[in-house]
Formats: sequence, C-alpha cells, structure tokens
Amino acid sequence: MIKYVLQRILYMFMVFMIITLMCFVLIRMLPPAVLPPDDPHTFQILRRREALGYNEPYLVQFWLFLKNIVTKWDWGVSEKLFFGQNVWDIFVGKLPATMIVNLYSIIWSIPVGIGLGVWAALKKNTWIDYFLSTATMVVISVPSFVYAFLVQYLFCFKLHWFPFLMAGGTNYFSWEMLVSIIPPVLSLSFGVIAGFTRTTRAELTEVLTSEFMLLARTKGLTRAQATVRHALRNCFVVIVPGIFGEFIGILGGSLIIEGIFAVPGVGRLTLDAINGLDYNIFMLSTCFYTAIGLAASLVVDVSYGFIDPRIRMGSKK
Amino acid sequence: MKRTLAFLLAFVMVAMALVGCNPKTGDGTESGDETENNNPGGQLQITEFDPSKKYTYNTSASTLPSGWNPHTYQTADDAVYFDYTTDSLYTLFYNEPNHPKEGVEDYNGYVIVPSMAADYPVDVTESVKKSHPQFNIPESATNGYAWSVKLRDDLKWNDGTPITAQDFVDSFERVLRAPLMNYRAPDYYTGSYVVVNAKNYGLAGYYDYDDNGAAETPVTLDQMEKDENGQYTYKGMPVFIGSGYALAWTGGDTLKDLYDYYLENAGIEMFDKAALDKLLEATDGHGTAICNDENLDLLKKIITFNPNWNETEAEVINYLLIANHQYDENYSFDNVGLYVSGDNELTFVYPNALDGFYLMTYGMTTQYLVKTDLYDKNLKEGTSAAGTVWTSTYGTSMDTSVSYGPYVMTEYQNGKLMHFSKNENWWGWTSDIYTYVDPEDNKTYRMYQTTDVDIQYVKEPATNKQMFLNGQLMTYSLQSEDFDQYRTSDYYFTTPAETIFFLLFNGYEKVINERENAADFDKNTKDLQTQMLESFKRACAVAIDRDRMAATVSPQRTGGYAFLGQTYIYDPETCAYYRDTDQAKQALVDFYSINLADYDNDLDKAVDAITGYDPETAKVKFQEAYQEALAKEYITDADNDGKSDQVVTMVYAMSGEVSDFYKKTFDFLNTSLNDAAKGTGFEGKINIEPSAPLGNGWSDAIRDGQYDTQLAGWSGATLDPFSMADTWTDSARSYWGNWWKAETIDLTIKIDGKDITMSVRDWALCLNGTMTTVDGTDYNFGYGQTSVENRLTILAEIEKVMLTSYNCVPIMQDGSGYLLSQKAFYVVKEYTPMMGRGGMQYMKYNFSDDEWTEYVSSQGGTLSY
Repeated sequence: MIKYVLQRILYMFMVFMIITLMCFVLIRMLPPAVLPPDDPHTFQILRRREALGYNEPYLVQFWLFLKNIVTKWDWGVSEKLFFGQNVWDIFVGKLPATMIVNLYSIIWSIPVGIGLGVWAALKKNTWIDYFLSTATMVVISVPSFVYAFLVQYLFCFKLHWFPFLMAGGTNYFSWEMLVSIIPPVLSLSFGVIAGFTRTTRAELTEVLTSEFMLLARTKGLTRAQATVRHALRNCFVVIVPGIFGEFIGILGGSLIIEGIFAVPGVGRLTLDAINGLDYNIFMLSTCFYTAIGLAASLVVDVSYGFIDPRIRMGSKK
Repeated sequence: MKRTLAFLLAFVMVAMALVGCNPKTGDGTESGDETENNNPGGQLQITEFDPSKKYTYNTSASTLPSGWNPHTYQTADDAVYFDYTTDSLYTLFYNEPNHPKEGVEDYNGYVIVPSMAADYPVDVTESVKKSHPQFNIPESATNGYAWSVKLRDDLKWNDGTPITAQDFVDSFERVLRAPLMNYRAPDYYTGSYVVVNAKNYGLAGYYDYDDNGAAETPVTLDQMEKDENGQYTYKGMPVFIGSGYALAWTGGDTLKDLYDYYLENAGIEMFDKAALDKLLEATDGHGTAICNDENLDLLKKIITFNPNWNETEAEVINYLLIANHQYDENYSFDNVGLYVSGDNELTFVYPNALDGFYLMTYGMTTQYLVKTDLYDKNLKEGTSAAGTVWTSTYGTSMDTSVSYGPYVMTEYQNGKLMHFSKNENWWGWTSDIYTYVDPEDNKTYRMYQTTDVDIQYVKEPATNKQMFLNGQLMTYSLQSEDFDQYRTSDYYFTTPAETIFFLLFNGYEKVINERENAADFDKNTKDLQTQMLESFKRACAVAIDRDRMAATVSPQRTGGYAFLGQTYIYDPETCAYYRDTDQAKQALVDFYSINLADYDNDLDKAVDAITGYDPETAKVKFQEAYQEALAKEYITDADNDGKSDQVVTMVYAMSGEVSDFYKKTFDFLNTSLNDAAKGTGFEGKINIEPSAPLGNGWSDAIRDGQYDTQLAGWSGATLDPFSMADTWTDSARSYWGNWWKAETIDLTIKIDGKDITMSVRDWALCLNGTMTTVDGTDYNFGYGQTSVENRLTILAEIEKVMLTSYNCVPIMQDGSGYLLSQKAFYVVKEYTPMMGRGGMQYMKYNFSDDEWTEYVSSQGGTLSY
C-alpha cells in the first residue's frame, strides 16, 4: 500500500510538472494587449516587460520561476491585477473564502443528497421516487450560476431573507457571515445534492435487491438495520469517491458563483488573472487547482481500500 | 402656582406646536437636520448638517481598485481611490454667490478656486530667469514661464502630520526616478503641460530615437558608419534595432507581438523563432538591441524567414531606431523645474508659457503627491530573468495608504469592498471655501454632506438593479432593456459623452475592385462598388432617422448630426461650448441645406429643426445612384425591370461576436435603407452584413478597405475641440486616409477680412499651432496665436468639409443613463461637461442612513422609480 501511494505521488509530481510547464508557456504565448504607439505609457510598459524578463526564452523564465519557488517559496509579484503585491499573500488571503463556501456546500449537500437518494430507493417505483428522479435530472442539467440568479432574485430581492452579497471581513463564523453565505452555498448545492441523490438511489436500489440483503432480513434485522448496516456501506464504494469529485467540481463551479455573490475568493482571481494576463497569479492558481485535483484522485483511489477491504491497492494478484 | 403651571403648559404647547409645524423640505429633508452657525472663524453664516447623523453614499463597482499608488496605477478603476482621498492646489467649483464669476449666470459655469494653495499663483518668470539659469527660460520671456504658489499652512495627512512644500518636491522626484519605471512618469514629461527638465530626469540614461521605418526617407545602412565596437552610427549618434520596441509603422507591435499574433491567429510562423529569441536576448530594457553586423544578420533571418512577410534583407532598415539624443545618466533633480522657493512655497517652471485655466488645472497637477517615508518603506528591489526590477506596495492596503482629501479609507477587503469615512484632518471641513449657496433656499451649506462612502464589488447588472431597488445602492446604470421603463422617471439622469458615432463608408476603390474580382465573390448577385458613389452615400445619410435609431438600438444615446458633439468646450476660461457658437451652427445649417429664412433667420431655431432624416430626398438620391451605378457598370439590370440584379453589400467590420446591439443595428439600418429605396432601382437590394469577429484589427481592416463600414468614433478632449480637426485630416489616423487625402483638398476661409487658401490638412495643422506659409506669409492659428473667433471659424469650416466629404455620416451622440436613489438629490440637476452634476460636493440627502432604512422598510423593502 505504501509503495503504491509513493508511486502514485511520484506520478502525480510528474503530471503536476508537465501541466505547470504547459500552462506557463501557454499563458505567455497569449498575445499581450496591443499598446498604442502614440501613448507615452507604452514605453514604460515595454521597459517594464523587458525588465521583468518576459522577452527571455520561456525555459529561462520557467527555470527562474521554479528556482524562486523551491529556494524562497517566492511565487513572484502581480504585475497587472495587484501591481507589486506578493501573489502568494494575495492567494492565501483569498483562499479561506473559497474554501468556506465550498465546504459549507459539501457539508450540507452530502447528508441531504444521500438522504434523498435513500428515500427514493426505499420508495422505488412510487410517486416519490418518480418525483425525485425527475427533479434530480432537471436540477443536474442546469448550471449552478442559473440557480445563483434565481436564489438571488427570490430569496434576496423578493423575500429579503438574505443579503445580496457575502458579508465583508474575515470572521467566517459570525452569524452575519453565516447568513450571507447561504445564497452562494444554496446555489452551489443544488447540483451536488441532485448528484448524490441520483448516485445513492441507483446504487442502493441495486444493493437492496441483492441476495445478501435477503439473508440479512431473514437473520432478523429490521429493514432499517439492514439498509444502514449492509446496503449503505456497499453503496459508499461509489459515493465516497464522488464526494471528492464533487469538491473539485464545486471549486470549478464557484468561479462564477463567487462573482455573483461577491465572494472574495480564488475562483474569481483565476478568471481575472487569465483575462488580465497576470502571469504569476494565474500560475499560482493553476498550480493550486492542479494539486488539489491530483491529490483528490489519489485520496479517492486510496479510499477504496478503506471502504471495501476486498480492494487491494497496488496488488498484482 | 396655577398661573405658573398654566404658563408652563401654554409654553410647552406653543413649543410643541412649533416643532409640529417644523416643515419638511420639498425633498423630504427635515429642517431639524440643519443648524445655522455663524462660523466663528469665517465670514459666512453656514447651515450645518446634523453631525449626529450618518449619510452614506452606497455605490458598487464591477472592478474594485487593487492598488492606488499614484505613481503606478493604470486604470480608471484604480483612480476611484483618489476621488475621495486627495486634494489639489486648485479646484473647480460651480460659479454661485459664494464663488461668483462675472458675466456668467450662477451655476452655469465654474470658477477655479485655490484649495491646497493659499492663493492664486504669482508669476515669477523674471526673477527665476535670473536666479535659475539651468531652466533656460528664454531671454525674451517676461511672463508665464515660472509661477510660485504659497501652500496653506494647515495641510495635513490623515494621521495629522503636516504636508509641506518639500513633500511635493520629494514626491515629484520619486515619480520621475528612472529606475522605478513608474507607469505615470510620462504624464509629467510628455504633452503640453510639463515641468521643465522633467523628461531629462525621468529618462536619465535613455535615448530619444527617430523611428527609421516611419521616416519619409529612411536612412540606409550605406549612409551609416561603424564605431570602434562595431555598432552602426548615423551622424555620430548610435543606431539600434527596435527588437522589443513599439514601432510606429507596425501599429505599435513589437517583433514578438507580431510573431505571437500570426502564430496564434493564423498558425503561421512568420519569423525565424531561433533568431528572434537570440535577438531578444540581446535586447535591453529600452526594447532595443545594438545595431551591429551580428544582430543585423539575426534581423535579416527573422524578416526573410517566411515569404508571406514579403520583405527583403534590405528592409531591415525599417526596424532601426536612430538615436537623436541621449539623456544624461547622472542628471540632477536640481535642474527639474519644481522646487521649494520659500516658506511653504513651491515654484513651478515650464518650458513654455502657461497661464489661467491650463496653468492651474493641468500645469499644477499634484496627483503625484505621496507620503515619502511610507512610500520608501514599501519600495522593493527584486530580480527577474532579465535583471533588476523595482516594485512598490505603496497604496495597496490600509497600512500602506494615506489620505489628504475629504475622506480616508477605513475599511478595505481586496476585491470585495472599500469604505471611506470623513478625514477629520482635512482642512476643508472647517473652511469657508468648501461651501456653496443652495439655489433652492439661498442658504449656505458645507460641501460634502456625505459622511461615508461605501463601495461594494457587484459584478452583475441584475444584482445592481435589485440592490438599487431595495435601497442598498444609490445609483443604477440603466441597461438597454431598462430604458422603456425608467426613461420618464423623475430620478432618471442622462450624461452625454464626447464620442459621436459615425457610419463609415468605404471609398478605397483599388481594394474594392480587388475584392470584387476575387474568386469567391459572386458579382452576379453582389456589388461592392456602388457604395463609393457620393449619391449613394448621400441617400444613406438622409435615409436614417437618427433619433429613432438611437432610441431603438442604444437608448442611452441620442441622435448625432455633427462631427463634434455637445460636450466640447472651446474656451475653458469662460466655459463656452463649441456647438453653441454661430460658426458651428452655421456649418450645420449649410450642410443640411436649411433655409434660414424659414426660421426667421434664427440660427438656433434652424439648428433645432435639423433631423438629418429626409426619406423623399433619399429616394431621389438612391435612384440617381442606381443610374450612375448602371452607367459605370457596377451593377446590371439584365431583365430590364428597373431594378439592380445585384445587392449592394456593405460588410460591417465586427470587433467581436454579433451582440444584441449589433443585431438591432443591422436590422434598423437595413430596414431604413431599404424602406427609403422602395420604388427605386435598389428596392430590397441593400444589405449591411456582419464580418467575422476581427478583434482589435477591425480599424486597420476598415482603413485598408477590406471591410466597408462600422459605427465608429473618436472621443477627443472635452477642452480641445480644435485637436479633432487634426485627427480627421491625418491620413495615418483617420479611417479614410487611404482614399481621401486632406492634403489634396483646397479650402478658402476668410480670416480678418482676407481670403486665405490652403489645403484642409494645412488648415488643421495651422489651427493646432503649426506655422504654415501661404504666398510668402506665415500663418499660425494655434491657441493664443489668433482670436478665438478666427479659430472657431476655421474649425467650423473644416467640420463642414468633413461632413460634405461623406466618408462617414454622424449617427449617434454617445451617452449613458442612470437612476439616482430617492435617498439623495443633486443641488444642480443640469449636466455640464466640466462639473458633471457637481459630484459629491453638491449632493444633498433626503434621508440619513437610519431614516432611509426606515423609509425603505415602510415601502415594503422595494422602491419604485
């Protein structure tokens, strides 16, 4: 198992480096904004670009980029969006907002999604099942930013239940903050809940008809006991990896949600960095998302072994 | 006792009755919010606002400032910070009883008032000429070159430390300091309002170049020599290769930009990449590489690599920059014309004479002011792949920011919010200067009733609108879909902008013919040539109902009828508008063939009657164009049905994808033109169609004649309508420079009773200060060189020539529309270009924050406008 994990980490590192290099070169290949020749500021911009080494060969730049990270943990300074500011500080300052919104979303969505899935499975082929299955399909088909506009219009504008924007400051556990986070969390959650509902229902429906469930019931377990102790556990082999997958998915989805609810997070930062060609911020965001994605896939793979002892990692037999 | 009680009771009742009668103002403001104060330190009786109440201006931004270092900020978004936290030596106020202006009705203009300056500037040209020879003030100059300004002695930073004259000088030194490469440095050494020798200090160690590729007769390699290091020289000055330089003839692209552009957009490797990389390695911080044989060989490889680039080795000279001047690397700041000349006194020295409005607004700008100890603490030296690079974190957070204006930042969250509160250390809060007389009640008030400014990041217009309607924001910029609902609201305001949008016509015959002869062009069904006919363009011009088009496609805009819109001021001293002059009106009356006699010889009435829309004339002109096009064989009528066999096609150069605005524009134009063409040979035969997205390349595509039309315009400078004549007539900048040359068109104008004839281009140059010789007489009609009346006459005549050239027709005047919250109102509702509606200084409130919350709640939480 340890050997397998170490091997995976090594592969992960290689993939990470390849992605990083590709992104480093690609973002620099994007043509910079055309500078008006008559504008006296053009000269200053070109001087600065030259001084920053942007006209040096890409590999030379990449080498310096890596060297600064490895030796000084220096991700450089922002040249466009936050002129002169250390990009690591900016990124770390914005990370909590993104994480908190995503975590709340996941924490709320898992039990609700699984619960609805269980309910639908237990009520298979009843109107409840049909309703939940249909609703699930509809909800999954709609992107999360559409819910954002609906939630904002209904709950914030019409009903005045919540503020339009996430509260300011960094006290993420204050009452004001918790209330203001509900609209973005809700917007992100619809799709996730629907995803878990669908997965859980599908898996549980299959497991509930298995012979070992019949055995469990004949042994005298109640339906609830049999479902929780045996059926659900079998379903988790599929559901747990889905949790990590959803987390990555939500991080992606929150790029737009963050803008709508003024969440001062890294998702918006990434989009702005691409649009503004702020190389250093883009690279740090890219590395972050890449690392999270790769780490999540490793955790998912490793988690199989814990959830289902029959699965052996790295075994050739 | 009873009598005493009765008296007390009566007194209380009278007092209560008086309180009960305390009227609300028409705007809802309780007069109890205000108290009259004799203002012990001043002369005025000022009505003070209740200091216990908060008046917060809640606004939003889709991009919040991320840095507001006055030396490095690049965008208008960042400049928002300065609106609230800075002051200036001189400022503009409305002219009104407290700040009167002779001959101008109150609130119809503006006056320049000393703000950080203690008084108006004093001309010290004569004395500085003697005491400071390093400034090279011309011996003949007697005034206008050097001015001293005494600063107020109560200027403070928000932390209470004093601001001295030395702070201004030290800040100016820092913004110019060459190694810092500050983005804003050129603001202080380029243009018309620069301090003497600022450029020498700002570019210390650098060269000034002549762009060889842009020269009329480029210098060839044979004309150059080599120095001992092998570098080419010309007339003793070094020659460089502009390898990383924004060359003028490429439209500002560097070689690398061009390489990336072709690779990205066409998948073509236009240059030899290895040679380019090597040349870029040899390129220094100036964007230049030494011109020696080795680098020239690289350049030759680069430009001859791909035959599509179509250049030979001999054409390397197009990439050369010939130095004409080197700035002294050790240039002393003592030679720069800004210095402390006495007790809290600054002296400004200029390379040319300045006075009045331009001196006090542009010449004496102090936007560069920084708190130098904090600035230096946040300046960092770093390394890059190319060497040393300086960055500063000054003005990026609460800790690194200062204020010397009415407000100070009290809360900031990156990308989320900014909050400003009153800067108690700003001198203006207790001064008589920042006061005005309200035209409604004739009482004197302090400016800035606003106590707090709150800016929230709001990205989506839909969110903005909902927050506005729920009383959480003070303004809402209307979107196209909102105008029908809100344009009649009492809270609706429009703001005209400088830009006039023109519908361009393609007149580049050579290219149009080439396009028609291309293999993929079907000449049997389409025609491009007819659009060159003047009769056709004139028909189009009068076939479009401009006001209706603006209302349909872009309701915040209005119909446009001239080359220059409503916002241009020709005399900033008097705030006089170009469009209000007789010359400008006459130009329009002439162009639109208005018979003045029909309007009692009243120019105003005649101009008001102009619509530019005349479908009957359009019909006549379309038929004329049809006959002409047949005669010239641009079109055919094989079946003799009196209708063109071809559709006259104009391809609209799109910068991006077809948006709702463009869809409406195409629909409107096509419908208008075809409606007007009914019953003519072009009935149903005119089509404006969109191109594929061209990005920023659309303007070059229009100039090159590859595409035919666009709704394009220039914004221009509000205070300098005359400079627009230069733009219109400059072949390099105008859209029509390839087929309409202002140099070839003669224009005769009567100036001071004498007919003078020169080309339209020469008139434009002469109007902007270039000496022109006609029949042995030198003429210069630039600013201050002739009477304003003469300048207006020339500008109006040039405008008329441009209108009659039909290279384009004016269609829409740019503008925007927005709603203002019921919480506040403007003291002056009319918009004027320099003052807007007075800004925050002149904004008053109907409700304090608490009252507003209560009011919104009483309305069910959502307001109607």
